[in-house]
Amino acid sequence: MQAKRFMAALVACILVCGLLAGCGGGASSAPAASTPAAGSAPAAGGAEQVTIQVATWDYSSNPSTSNAVALFEKEHPDIKVEVIDIPSADYQTKLSVMLNGGELDAYFIKEASSTLEYYDRGQLLDLSGYIAADGVDMSEYSGTDTPFNIDGKQLGMPVRTDYYVLFYNKDIFDDAGVAYPSNDMTWKEFEDLAMQLSGNGVYGAHFHTWQACVENWAVQDGEHTIMDYETGYDFFKPYYEMVLRLQEAGACQSFGDLQSGSIHYSGAFAAGNVAMLPMGTWYIATIAEAMKNGEANMEAWGVATLPHPDNVPAGYSVGATTPIAITPSSKNQDAAWEFVKFISSEAGALEYAKVGAVPGRLSDEILGQIASLDGMPEGLVDALQVKSIAPDRPIVPNVTEINTMLGQEHSLIMLGELSVDEGLAEMAERAAEIMG
Amino acid sequence: MNETAKTPARHSMSLKKRNALVGATFILPNFIGFLIFVLIPVVFSFVLAFMDWDGFNAMTFAGLGNFTEIFKDRVFRQSISKTFIYTVFNVLISAAAALGLAIVLNNKLKGTTFFRSAIFFPYVASVVAVGAVWKAMFMRNGGPLNQFLAFVGVAEEHLPGWLSSSEWALTGVIIVSIWKNMGYFMVIYLAAMQNIPSTLYEASEIDGARKWQQFWRITFPMLIPSHFFVLMMLTINSFKTFDLIFALTEGGPGTATTLLSMYIYNESFVYWHYGTASAAAMILFLIVGTVTVLQFRIEKKFDDFM
Amino acid sequence: MVQKKNNVARTAQYILLVLLTVITLLPLIWMLSASFKLSTEVFTSPIRWIPETFHWENYIQIWQKVDFGRFTWNSAKLTVLVTIIQLLTCSFAAYGFTKCRFPGRDILFLGYVATIAIPWQTFMLPQYMMMNRMHLVDSHLGYVLLQSFGAFGVFLLRQFFLGIPNELLEAARIDGLSEYGIYFRIVLPLAKPAMATLAIFTFVTIWNDYMGPMIYFNTEANKTIPLGIRMFVGQYSADYQLIMAASVLSLVPVLVMYVFCQKYFVQGVATSGLKG
Repeated sequence: MQAKRFMAALVACILVCGLLAGCGGGASSAPAASTPAAGSAPAAGGAEQVTIQVATWDYSSNPSTSNAVALFEKEHPDIKVEVIDIPSADYQTKLSVMLNGGELDAYFIKEASSTLEYYDRGQLLDLSGYIAADGVDMSEYSGTDTPFNIDGKQLGMPVRTDYYVLFYNKDIFDDAGVAYPSNDMTWKEFEDLAMQLSGNGVYGAHFHTWQACVENWAVQDGEHTIMDYETGYDFFKPYYEMVLRLQEAGACQSFGDLQSGSIHYSGAFAAGNVAMLPMGTWYIATIAEAMKNGEANMEAWGVATLPHPDNVPAGYSVGATTPIAITPSSKNQDAAWEFVKFISSEAGALEYAKVGAVPGRLSDEILGQIASLDGMPEGLVDALQVKSIAPDRPIVPNVTEINTMLGQEHSLIMLGELSVDEGLAEMAERAAEIMG
Repeated sequence: MNETAKTPARHSMSLKKRNALVGATFILPNFIGFLIFVLIPVVFSFVLAFMDWDGFNAMTFAGLGNFTEIFKDRVFRQSISKTFIYTVFNVLISAAAALGLAIVLNNKLKGTTFFRSAIFFPYVASVVAVGAVWKAMFMRNGGPLNQFLAFVGVAEEHLPGWLSSSEWALTGVIIVSIWKNMGYFMVIYLAAMQNIPSTLYEASEIDGARKWQQFWRITFPMLIPSHFFVLMMLTINSFKTFDLIFALTEGGPGTATTLLSMYIYNESFVYWHYGTASAAAMILFLIVGTVTVLQFRIEKKFDDFM
Repeated sequence: MVQKKNNVARTAQYILLVLLTVITLLPLIWMLSASFKLSTEVFTSPIRWIPETFHWENYIQIWQKVDFGRFTWNSAKLTVLVTIIQLLTCSFAAYGFTKCRFPGRDILFLGYVATIAIPWQTFMLPQYMMMNRMHLVDSHLGYVLLQSFGAFGVFLLRQFFLGIPNELLEAARIDGLSEYGIYFRIVLPLAKPAMATLAIFTFVTIWNDYMGPMIYFNTEANKTIPLGIRMFVGQYSADYQLIMAASVLSLVPVLVMYVFCQKYFVQGVATSGLKG
């Protein structure tokens, strides 16, 4: 009897919980309808409507992709795009599993450097035939497409491209009576400027905790990649030494403090005491969004071209492109291509530019579109001009392992647990082990 | 040992056949589901330990290649010793804390309901939030933990960088793990304590036993199945701890908190080396298996001799 | 005489308990406080325990940014179903493993327990491929089947059942009760604390499960709260204030469940009804 009562009580409790939750669900259905996924109404007259499944990440927080999808669906009422929104941190995991199950029609590649892995596993359709048939002019992509051309096959179309630029705070320069950073500055000049501006609670520079924020400057000239372990990684050395010098002088917040305080670069920059921040162009969209929502007081921000090493001229930057690809297992390859073609086209690019994201098609018109957004600083178009974008990570075997290892050693060097020489030696040693 | 704690003789063997059949009907509903959804994939993963597989292309036989490969990997070797350190401290401290709390909170003190809920609370919180919360608790400057240490007189330069130094990161993870899980194991002990007949205590009180003696003579031995369970689960969970580390340190700084589970995660989900991941899992399985069988034997002994 | 000593002990216990509780709750208070802050205020040093202004809108934003209502409903539904199935099948199996004797029982049990030690990552892909072939991916049914038959519940209940004196069952057998009768009339009532324990654990596990739903659910309509919370962690930044607000909200049902179950696993020694 008691057992029955217990079970009855348990079921009752569970039902109550369920009901509570259910009420919550009912109350929320109104705002829910406004989210993109729930809001994409089926197109009219869709007797032959094809549904394609496309995987991406940060879909709900990134208006660029959702706007482009909405526009595409309007222009192609016969194709419905079902977006699979995957949490950013687990994108690779989930994507690989879904590809294995053969469920997707198209997908964005988050880490461009992993393209080869997808190719080796036969998960990328050669788009060359479609490109030729539809007469897509690949020169429009100004080279962002070439990394995805493997064995003469075009495996992905560039959608977004992100490269590093220099964000700066005009107020700090005005207060110090120093001219704003120019679009042609070497890293040495950058260091001197950062030292000059530091003091009285102002940090001349800010380096986020990613290894990219040191090591990228070493591959910016395009002469080396993170795979060149035979050199003992000596090309990293000047940049580690530079950042450590700045850290020692108190010209930037220390790695340990940033890490232990979970300090995000956007918070640090918005706090108003950071003069210069080398960061990716994706941050432009974040600032645009924050200003639109009135979340941060960022009136004084400016953008300059990324400082460059001595051996290359200004306009050499480093970054990565986000391509979209089609699965060979897709049963709706034609429809998927329509979508891929659209989102990588001029029209798709404009949707990205409208919210401050830099599309793979870089043109003055597109850059102009970004610069014309509310709250964008003067001279943005000039600052965004690039001559070359070196890939932060090359598309070669074992790059993921090497990159993970570099990240581990990076933190040890930056925390001062290893000297620069020790750290670089360990990197080279471990890289050799990984490469077998 | 205590007379009253004796387990009575097993029932007669004549019921053997009938019991086998009845036993099967009890076990089958769970076992069928278990077989299909857990056991078959697990056996498959054992096979994988001897294969080369990227999760998509056809697999090829690798023999013991995966095992030699992981033992050559310094991260793997390091993760084994770190996992042991983590497990020993995490298991012992958590189990002791859980038992202690259960004993105190099994008394009819005022407000026990509140205290029990409070201690259990951390177990309920989602790991993403917990990761962020403890990063704040562990802040080098201005974090409550270091503020406390400074208050009791630790010099500023000696304040530990909890999650941001190789020296302290593992300790930091252990602290969070104990904080999060001690309530869970406390509940197991609390529930098991309800099964101890109160007559045992009454009898020993008449004999003039002190509280402390009662604990060692009655409570502790009567909880042996629970000790077994708690130690077992703590050991397995420690070996498998992944979410928490991922949320707190992602295995860093360097590889300071890259435990075996983190290594397996990277091998399988980041690099798609299914063979080596399974080989590492096999090693983990062997370690945990040995510990389990050992504990199982000890439990049996207690069962027979008490 | 004894009273005085008891009072001292009691006070000491209280002081210890209050201290421990404060330490335990401190991080959660931080969580609550962060849920009312702006994203730029979440990590400040030193910590500001009471937000400058309370941003209640965080609690509204989480409903607007993701379909939190549906996620809550899904989480509740899955949690309830899995909990019920677990309680039924696990207690059955645990009884079989404890109180019925048959050859190979202990080996089979060890096999059960052994699977707990295998990290899910290593058999996730084979499992997924199998589920995919059975067309159970991206369906709640598939997830429920996947989560309902773990070895953990059997193990937990078996350890509790071991503590039930065999002479109690023997007496019932002599009285002519069948094994099923013994299970329903004697073991289950005695196992209330254990069942409540398993109920709360299953509830918490499924309610907070992230990896399972992440791998198995694709469509928005199927997703659960933990997935919703992760949506606030973006590629380059995280909305910690929203993560905290969502986490605070998702705590509530589990606490209700806990408080309900608590009465069963801590009903007090005197009323446990076990007099040997």
